[in-house]
Amino acid sequence: MNKTAKGKQWQIGMLLLPGLLVFGVFTAYPLIKLFIMSFFKWDFGSMLEQQFIGVQNYKEVISDPYFRISFVNTLVYTLVTVPAQMALGLLVALCINSITHLKVSFRVLYYLPVITSWVIASLVFKYIFNTEGMLNYILFHVLHLTDHNIRWLDSRWGGLGVAMLLGTWKGIGWNMVVFLAALQTVPTELYEVSGIDGAGAVKKFFHVTIPCIRGTILFALVMLTIGGFNVFTSIKMITGGEPGHQTDTILTWMYYKAFSTGKFGYSAALSFIVAVCLAILAAVQFRLMKNREEG
Amino acid sequence: MKRGKKILVIIMAAVIGLAALTACKKSPVISETGQTTKESAETKKAEQKTVTINFWHHYSAQSAENATLEKVLIPKFEEENPGIKVNPVSHEWADLHEKILISAKSNTLPDVARLDSAWIPEFHKMGILVPLDEEMSDFSSVADGLLESAMATANIGGHAYGLALNTNTKILFYNAEAFRKAGLDAPKTMEDFVNAIKALSGTNENGQTVWGYNEPALAGWNLCPFIWSFGGELTNPEQTKASGYINSDKTVAAIQTLADLYKAGAITGWNSGDIPMTDGFGTGRYMMLLEGPWKIAELAGAYPDLEYATVDMPAGDGGSHSVLGGEDISMFNSANKEAAWKFMQFMTSEYAQTEMAKCGQIPVNKKALENDTVKKADFAPFLEAIKNAKSRPTVASWSEIDNELSVAVTAVMNGEKTAKEAMDELAVKVDALLAAE
Amino acid sequence: MKKRLKRKIAKETLLLLFLTAGLYIVVMPMVYMISTSLKPNGALYEFPPRFFPRLQEVTVENYQYIIGEGKFYMNFVNSIVVSVTTVAAAALVAAALGFCIARFNFLGKNLLFVFIMLTMIIPGMTLIVPQYELAVWLKVIGKLTGLIPFYIAWVIPYSTFMIKGFVETVPRELDEAIYIDGGSVFTVFFRIILPLAKPGIASVSIFNFLTAWEEFPWANTVINDNAKRTLPIAISGFFGQHQFTQWGYVFALSVLSLIPILMVFIFCQKFFVAGLTTGSVKG
Repeated sequence: MNKTAKGKQWQIGMLLLPGLLVFGVFTAYPLIKLFIMSFFKWDFGSMLEQQFIGVQNYKEVISDPYFRISFVNTLVYTLVTVPAQMALGLLVALCINSITHLKVSFRVLYYLPVITSWVIASLVFKYIFNTEGMLNYILFHVLHLTDHNIRWLDSRWGGLGVAMLLGTWKGIGWNMVVFLAALQTVPTELYEVSGIDGAGAVKKFFHVTIPCIRGTILFALVMLTIGGFNVFTSIKMITGGEPGHQTDTILTWMYYKAFSTGKFGYSAALSFIVAVCLAILAAVQFRLMKNREEG
Repeated sequence: MKRGKKILVIIMAAVIGLAALTACKKSPVISETGQTTKESAETKKAEQKTVTINFWHHYSAQSAENATLEKVLIPKFEEENPGIKVNPVSHEWADLHEKILISAKSNTLPDVARLDSAWIPEFHKMGILVPLDEEMSDFSSVADGLLESAMATANIGGHAYGLALNTNTKILFYNAEAFRKAGLDAPKTMEDFVNAIKALSGTNENGQTVWGYNEPALAGWNLCPFIWSFGGELTNPEQTKASGYINSDKTVAAIQTLADLYKAGAITGWNSGDIPMTDGFGTGRYMMLLEGPWKIAELAGAYPDLEYATVDMPAGDGGSHSVLGGEDISMFNSANKEAAWKFMQFMTSEYAQTEMAKCGQIPVNKKALENDTVKKADFAPFLEAIKNAKSRPTVASWSEIDNELSVAVTAVMNGEKTAKEAMDELAVKVDALLAAE
Repeated sequence: MKKRLKRKIAKETLLLLFLTAGLYIVVMPMVYMISTSLKPNGALYEFPPRFFPRLQEVTVENYQYIIGEGKFYMNFVNSIVVSVTTVAAAALVAAALGFCIARFNFLGKNLLFVFIMLTMIIPGMTLIVPQYELAVWLKVIGKLTGLIPFYIAWVIPYSTFMIKGFVETVPRELDEAIYIDGGSVFTVFFRIILPLAKPGIASVSIFNFLTAWEEFPWANTVINDNAKRTLPIAISGFFGQHQFTQWGYVFALSVLSLIPILMVFIFCQKFFVAGLTTGSVKG
């Protein structure tokens, strides 16, 4: 018995090995390295001799006005896109859930933006929101809502606005599918019971549907918050941080500092701050989720 | 239902398996040698070792220059030099600078690159460029065939860190038809220029906005002609100090003039949402541009019916000074030096320079300059303007200074700061960068 | 009764109309992309701009250029190689991890699971600087092998987490039966777990394929040569900020690069939904 148990341990080890190896080398090691790098002067100038400088990099990040801009931008992006995606996704899911015809077709078509890659979607949005683009033509020359072409891409909130619109557009499908699945778990008897009470559709939604899919809402909240902080490609492609780094997000700013100016130590410190912030945020959200489920 | 599912799984597995198989077969070939199987087969036939040299450049991917490079020059070079293959890689201008910095760190530099001459001091300081005069025995015979003034851009401390590849400067392109209709003459002075910009901006018959002038970015390459022609400077002549120069009244006046024009809706171009320069000029939305010789070939290709003319950079208090451009072809110290040197010689040869001249690259090869094809190309106004053109500061931190300048002027354009405030702040930053040289 | 039916039909019609209206906004950008890719390049700054090209103007010249240049084929093969290798390797590795975590107790199991969750939370891009250093040290800069292992490492946490959920739905009695017959852990893994968790693995694999297929920042940092670029970099390479952007080419290449994804999506729709919903409904 002991012998077979030992053999089993061995086999488990063998199965775990490739995963642990890949994970260890390509994720865990860089994470540790990131932490170490953040305490060193590590840039193009000091390529060979890295120097321990304590929390200097962190001080530099915290006192950097551009970091603050990018942080606020990321925060705003997340605070806008997450609720917007969830609300619209849930709305579409509710509609699809209530129809009898064409359910599958709508589900497929609404999901299309999700599978469109970020690079392509960003370029399409950039093309539409060009100062000389289709949208301005319609607003100005067709509908006469403005008397000039609006510079959507050329201001901080304009550029971010387009990125936020893109993020929302791309996220509706995911939310729809997730909420559709959740809606299926709501017991129909509950609706019937509340129907007898004479509750209207709105009341039913808030008193029956929402409490039943609470778990899914929190799950989506956690996933989308992480996604919001991950925003990179759309900003890079649409505004490139212009004008004057006003539309940079945390990750585009980090990338710029590392790969355009060679300040690897600074970027490591910045990355570490972001990682810790997100870990705390997610932990809080998970805790919230657990408490709600128990309560 | 169940069977359908099963079939689907089988198909999926088959596709993945098949693809994985091809992956196993193909990836080593592609990823390790960087050559196709066909090429290596040919090599075996030739029974000699093929050397591949990587050549990075910033001819844009869809340009006539890139087509000439890939379809005319490189095939010709490879034919003349069996055993050497050239792998050209096109990067966008700013990306190329970035990629070289990163590659220097990772020891993955190409063998040869076409570099903006403004980058040479920076890369020299990093110690990645080969001093050609020391390493190549026949250097002087090659260098003698090229223009001395252009070769000077690659010279640091008496050593040559590249061969001049092409030279250029910018002159004013204007929409001749629009000028005629407005009864305007080509602007000679800064005052005429500003007035023409204002007069020509407005809306066209479709109700679309028309801008008097386009400037595609706010970097040194774009701002310097104005700063210098206004009589301003970026640094002192020794290039050690910016305070008192980059924030001098005249430099500030140049920036303020551009900002006022932007505010009046008369100039644009550097914003993400703007029409690209060539398209805007070709479709009559931009009335003037300051551009280099390549624009002539580009316009002839894309907008052959456009009626335009050129004139020198308008003169201000400081005279008429455009910015000296040009590229050098340099070798990195990790290069296959023998093959790289051959390719560099080829690119600066009369043949290659004449071919490139057809796409608007002004040759620096003396023989090519005497060539009939080159003489027919409309380089005369540019060659004239080069005489008064000035170089951007030749310091190692130029890229950083350039970036700071761009950020500062963007803030002025967007009305966040006055030109005086922004340039005062900038002067402190640039002083620090210059002090660290 | 009749009144109720009427109300029902009215409600259905209203919802269908609403959904169709929303659909216009959702698919409009994609349609615009396709229509632009069919326009001749000269028509891009025409006035007035048209949503669809004039019928006599419709052209496939953009597609001919993209395919005729020959680089498209290289980029396409690169993307396939990278995505498929990533998917296959990640599926095996993550299935093994998920299986072990779901079924056995071993030293550091909780630590491993917490770590997996943690890496799901931290944006992958924050690791880009040390990962770049690692890639330099491994001498894989500029090579496809500089992409694949990193992609595998990125998709493992999510894949493991999902597959673990699927393995938990496989009854333990099946494992026990194999052990009683003298089978090993491997037998259980290959004979029981892999076949029964296949839908889960398939759904995870689809997401991994999508991730690897569209990955941009890392590939853009690591790859230089045209011949080794994957499709997203090839697309962005058409795009110079202030040069003359040939939108027709950009969008033709984009449409072509979307085709494999669309095919995977259409054929494997069921797995898509299954993969999305397991984590969420359980909460």
